[in-house]
Amino acid sequence: MQMTGVNQHTAILDEPIKGKPLVRNYINGEWIESKGEIRDVVNPATGEAIAQVPISTKEEVDAAVAAAQEAFPTWRTTTPLARSRCLFRLKGLLEEHFEELSRIQTQEHGKTIDESRGETRRGIENVEVACGIPTLMQGYHSEDIANGMDEWVIRTPLGVFGIIGPFNFPFMIPLWSAPYAVATGNCVIIKPSSEVPLSQMKLAELVDEAGFPPGVWNVVNGGRTVVSTILEHSGISGVTLVGSTPTAKYVYERCGATGKRAIAQGGAKNFMVIMPDCDVRRTVAAMMTSFFGNTGQRCLAGANLLIVGEDDSFYKSFMGMVIAAAKKIIIGYGLDESVQMGPVRDAEKKANIIRYIEKGIHEGANLILDGRNPTVKNSLPLDTFLGPTIFENVTPDMTIAKAEIFGPVMSVMRAKTLDDAIEMCNASPFGNGDAIFTTSGKYAREFQYRIVSGNVGINVGVTAPVAFFPFSGMKDSFFGILHTQGQEAVRFFTESKVIIQRWF
Amino acid sequence: MRLNTASVTVGFAKKLEDDSARFYEGLAAQNPANSVVLLSLAKENRRCATDIERAYYGVITDAIESCFTFDIDTEKYSFTFDMPVSGGLKQAVAMEERILAFYEEAAEQSRSLMCDVPRAFGLAAKKRAQRIGRLKALAGQ
Repeated sequence: MQMTGVNQHTAILDEPIKGKPLVRNYINGEWIESKGEIRDVVNPATGEAIAQVPISTKEEVDAAVAAAQEAFPTWRTTTPLARSRCLFRLKGLLEEHFEELSRIQTQEHGKTIDESRGETRRGIENVEVACGIPTLMQGYHSEDIANGMDEWVIRTPLGVFGIIGPFNFPFMIPLWSAPYAVATGNCVIIKPSSEVPLSQMKLAELVDEAGFPPGVWNVVNGGRTVVSTILEHSGISGVTLVGSTPTAKYVYERCGATGKRAIAQGGAKNFMVIMPDCDVRRTVAAMMTSFFGNTGQRCLAGANLLIVGEDDSFYKSFMGMVIAAAKKIIIGYGLDESVQMGPVRDAEKKANIIRYIEKGIHEGANLILDGRNPTVKNSLPLDTFLGPTIFENVTPDMTIAKAEIFGPVMSVMRAKTLDDAIEMCNASPFGNGDAIFTTSGKYAREFQYRIVSGNVGINVGVTAPVAFFPFSGMKDSFFGILHTQGQEAVRFFTESKVIIQRWF
Repeated sequence: MRLNTASVTVGFAKKLEDDSARFYEGLAAQNPANSVVLLSLAKENRRCATDIERAYYGVITDAIESCFTFDIDTEKYSFTFDMPVSGGLKQAVAMEERILAFYEEAAEQSRSLMCDVPRAFGLAAKKRAQRIGRLKALAGQ
């Protein structure tokens, strides 16, 4: 028998979701079938309905809030160490189910398996950070603030929080908030996107197995009714949301009106600023991830490529490499390990992106790579697939330079100087994740100092902060004061109680 | 065939380790005098596969270039062998030289990823270089 060491693993990995299960709500430690309308959850790569999700009713949200309120007094008196042990057990279970969780994300969302594993890892990192809650939520103390008087601050939990997730990172984004909320002694109600509810269901199963008391962690599936009930409910102390800018703004306004604290993360239009002295090979690879990773469906995706300087030969050579790399991207089902870019989430989103591409052509930009009819590996239905799309000669006034397209579209612009480039970036109403690529410390320092953006990259194309740093945002990309992740999340989910003491 | 993503590259490394472990197990059966050494190499192969996989799963993040880092032509590193193994230690040396070259290229190309991944490939390459010396000594080369 002849053996070989070159068989490449390009078969489709096994799909964990089988048999079109009906998703149930997880309320008060029990799996409850919703009375709401049922919709299909569709795998965007294959077009197959892989599960069913309920659109839950107001009464079901009310039941979850009641369960969370009932669980809160006991949970807040559970010691931080004991709460952290629940999180340690959850962390162990997440590692055990790492691959299953990742494949579920690819099945429900369409992203590649490398991207899903990256998302799983980043979600777990937030659980790991929240495990440190006994020290993270400590207050501080001063002796003798006046004669015989001491003063100190303790951080107390607030009650019940709503966590509203988007479709683009179904597993990770609720974990920017939930571990910190429960670690600090609060209870949560998570509303996953109804398009991608499956990884949150698996997560809730693991939460249950980890031994969180009933009512501490609840999941209610659905759409607008669930969101508006959370926003208006007097039993909810605060809300975190990641969504589009109009939604984030609305949520922030409603939270203000109903006396809730809020973290509302909105949309973006990120600039990748390329200096002629950059490390070209590594910058081009970073551009592929930035613009085309997650098929452009992320609030930290590159959208505008801004090349600085009047050196046409650098511009031509850099763009030549970008176009060549983009043309080589393999598109297909993310459970094929050789696929580099999956579909967009659904046909409607694809149609919306195509409308932007057509607008770009109409407004006079030069379409140099057209992704509207891509070659897709393994002859999958084309309803949701788009290829990398690149426009040159884009001007700041064009729609494709201003609007959040949320797809694999790169708009290339030029700026004469770094000053001009920073001005162009800062003219955008968004301020989420802008980056510079350079080998000059002076340029990098100048950029990070002057740019009005929450997450700034220096030779990093996706400026996603790790779990122990806040996920920031400025201008129309963020509404709120404190942010998700790390210490800021701990502060968001707690109130400072100040004690001033004197003994007679 | 080309390796283009981190996932498929790690999968290929694992396959190389599994195949070469089976090679050493076959070779050990035919060389009782050297079987202890050869079986230890097979064991080391499986450990190496675990180390690489652990590094990948431990630090992978969606925010770096895991889908766009690699461009490796597997043809350069392919090897075939017959079962039962023929050619003995000389064939082992030739196989190890190809695996060493693969790990060196993988370490070089994965420098955009978190340092754990290129370090795991680099350590695998270093062990391979040491192993080639031991195999050559065993073969009397």
